[in-house]
Amino acid sequence: MTEKAVAVGTIVHEISSISQAVQYAVDLIKKKNLKTLACPGLDPKDREILLDLCKSSGLNLLEEPLRNHASSLDTALTWVDYGIAETGTLMLASDSEEIRIATMLASIHIAMLPISKIRQDTSAIEADLNDILKNDSPSYTAFITGPSRTADIERVLAIGVHGPVELHLLLIKDIQP
Amino acid sequence: MIKTAQDMKSYKKLLDQALNDSFLRSALDEFNTAYRENRPNVYKDLDFNSIRDALAENKDSLIPFLEILYEEFKLNAEKAGTTVHRAKDAREANEIIARIARENKVQKIIKSKTMTAEETFLNDFLEEQGFMVTETDLGEWIIQLRHEGPSHMVMPAIHLSRYQVGDLFEEQTHSKVDDENIDKLVKVARHVLRPRFLDADMGVTGANFAIADSGTLGLVTNEGNMRLCTTLPRVHVALVGFDKLVSDLGSALGILKVLPRNATGQAITSYVTWIKGANQCLNTSSQKKQMHVIFLDNGRLSLSKDPVFHTALRCIRCGACANVCPIYAKVGGHKYGHVYIGAIGLILTLFYHGKENDRAIVKNCINCQACKEVCPVAIDLPHLIKKTYARVIKEDGKTPVKNFLLAKVMKNRKLFHFILRKAYLAQQPLTKGKPMIRHLPSFLEKTHGFRSLPVIVKTPLRDQWQTLSPKLENPSLTIALFAGCAMDFIYPNHGKDLLTLLKNANIQVDFPMNQTCCGLPAMMAAEEKTARTLARQNIHAFEGEQYDYILTLCASCASHLTHNYEKIFRETRGPARDLELFTNKIIDFSSFMDKVFKFPQTSQVIHKKVAYHAPCHLCRGLHVTNEPRALIKKAGYTYVPSKDEDVCCGFGGSYSVDFPEISSEILTKKLDNVEASGADILVTDCPGCVMQLSGGMDKRQSHVKVLHLVELLAGKK
Repeated sequence: MTEKAVAVGTIVHEISSISQAVQYAVDLIKKKNLKTLACPGLDPKDREILLDLCKSSGLNLLEEPLRNHASSLDTALTWVDYGIAETGTLMLASDSEEIRIATMLASIHIAMLPISKIRQDTSAIEADLNDILKNDSPSYTAFITGPSRTADIERVLAIGVHGPVELHLLLIKDIQP
Repeated sequence: MIKTAQDMKSYKKLLDQALNDSFLRSALDEFNTAYRENRPNVYKDLDFNSIRDALAENKDSLIPFLEILYEEFKLNAEKAGTTVHRAKDAREANEIIARIARENKVQKIIKSKTMTAEETFLNDFLEEQGFMVTETDLGEWIIQLRHEGPSHMVMPAIHLSRYQVGDLFEEQTHSKVDDENIDKLVKVARHVLRPRFLDADMGVTGANFAIADSGTLGLVTNEGNMRLCTTLPRVHVALVGFDKLVSDLGSALGILKVLPRNATGQAITSYVTWIKGANQCLNTSSQKKQMHVIFLDNGRLSLSKDPVFHTALRCIRCGACANVCPIYAKVGGHKYGHVYIGAIGLILTLFYHGKENDRAIVKNCINCQACKEVCPVAIDLPHLIKKTYARVIKEDGKTPVKNFLLAKVMKNRKLFHFILRKAYLAQQPLTKGKPMIRHLPSFLEKTHGFRSLPVIVKTPLRDQWQTLSPKLENPSLTIALFAGCAMDFIYPNHGKDLLTLLKNANIQVDFPMNQTCCGLPAMMAAEEKTARTLARQNIHAFEGEQYDYILTLCASCASHLTHNYEKIFRETRGPARDLELFTNKIIDFSSFMDKVFKFPQTSQVIHKKVAYHAPCHLCRGLHVTNEPRALIKKAGYTYVPSKDEDVCCGFGGSYSVDFPEISSEILTKKLDNVEASGADILVTDCPGCVMQLSGGMDKRQSHVKVLHLVELLAGKK
């Protein structure tokens, strides 16, 4: 998983707890001189930890609905549902508009994935995805592989055209989201 | 607005413009080489051929049932709040979209890349209706600003340089941009377009898959703009061709395995998005998006019932047929298609945009088979292009002079050969006693003078055969020679060299005298009846005797006899048994010498470097690749690889006469590559290629000698 994800430009780290993930996010934002962070889908208690950290670091943890902060959203911290090792792909159920806006508009997306959720290839998640799709309710499911990219000018690869410029993947050992 | 040439004269003018665009030329040439060189890496862990065959089979199983799949999709999508529409043609699709926009009080529309909306000229229509439309895919935005159509299905602005893009962006931003730095240019697009996403009322997309059993759309993208188009605005409209319907997720995932690989060399794109129903949208009172899917027919449903052309609907729009096309590499997409470009574009244009727009471009195929080789759904593109051309001729109701003459002359072997014999006399003022015609009359020299031309011999091979190849008492093997016109009338020496090689091997080589042209030139001109007549004549000419093999030294003849005869008679229910007996015996020269004759390894070392040109119809037509190279080495020479060895030489029979400007450019690159390899000799195993390559080398007075492999093996240096 790590090898393939790195090959497509994802920055991968292994960590052992959610609090480490939160710390990573805050440190990264400070390092990049950015200001704001969104964390849709995070547990309330994890969000509390993050909020405290943000406050002490002078960062702004954005309140939902994120649509209201669309033009000032720098960073997104979210869980993802599966990793697909064969291509370094992340699967993210993005039915919630908050998740979509955060992961599409932010210039940095930090994704957290429990290592136990890594699967070999798309055929290994096909049944789960099919369950989502065959359900009668609306759904929006994303496969994300590396940062946003284009080669539309002279076939030269350029990163970060409309979506995130950086994708960070935090592989979390032995815990469930 | 796209303007495509509707006659040859204006088409030639446009081609000249393209050939004189130096950026376009170098960009596309580099792309062609890079794409082909990278391809083995992209597929190193996969068996492309078996995936391709499985996909083709899957697509074929769906195509007859598109209407049923549509109903199933509609049922499932509507359960999740999608409204599903169908449009019989482009106008109806555009009107539905405009109506949805009006009903939802939409003013600003953002779009992500969709070839289907290009097909319907949706932007023009919506702008005429007063909507403000912004393309958000980088390439699409660039061409929208330039009021052009896409020049490639995947990379719409591949024809433009960074400097041209820089100029455009300066106009947009009214400030100086650093046009040397592509990364900065890309960021300009990010900053200028971001507010447009936030302001838009409606997003228009296409889709790569419409999954019937769940009513889901699948979209395969890289930039992230499509995700924004389907998230921020309150209305999402997807315009989808009927051909994008698949039965289930598994079928979509199957296509996803090859689509990005074939298109851009990626194992998967940055984003693959599965959208079903009216998703959450928090700036509306219902908190739900307005979600519409419009299925576009525009000829697809009748195409799905066509016994020949239904396979064109397998296309998954990867664009690879353009990536490997030697003609696309010279002239670019605007001159090689209408809306859809590349090989598939030459076909689909007739069905989606009418014969006028296809009339000129459909002729511009050299039949090199490169597109067929990379097509991930096994569409026989070169064959369908010729079938399309035949249909254009039929719809136009006028037989081109060339076809009229071909039919008159070729069907009658004696008349055809009589004319070739007379041609020997007619060419005398030009040959000046030399083996090649170096200069043509001045009115022809400018366009056709890029190569010296071979000379038709006084005595064709057939007239010499009886004395050259007497009957043997007890031959160990009896073979028949299918000479082909080139060997018979231009290169009889190749036949003599063959006999020299086989001497003392106790092999009887016959020359059935009723054999005639294989028919490939007729097929290339879409002169189907003549091609069929010639096929029948040849099958009869080789009947009666018990031959172990029918040997030909022409790769084009070999491939035509092996594959196309079967197609010709399959379509007209011809003589199945005779045909099989005939085609099963066909063997090309390299395979024969290596596998049957078992040409021995010589101990002698010849200090000459030999480059090889792989004829299209040998390496792709018959998949013979190792044998000729092995034979060069066995004969004691040093084989030196050269760049783009298996790219067409630009001959293509009458193609080089119909499109001499392009043929000449393809040839130049080929010869440059051979000379760069340091070779003393260039060998190939097709007399057509010999003609083109030796004509070109002679004209540039190169030291590289061009030989047919039979000459090399027979000891010529």
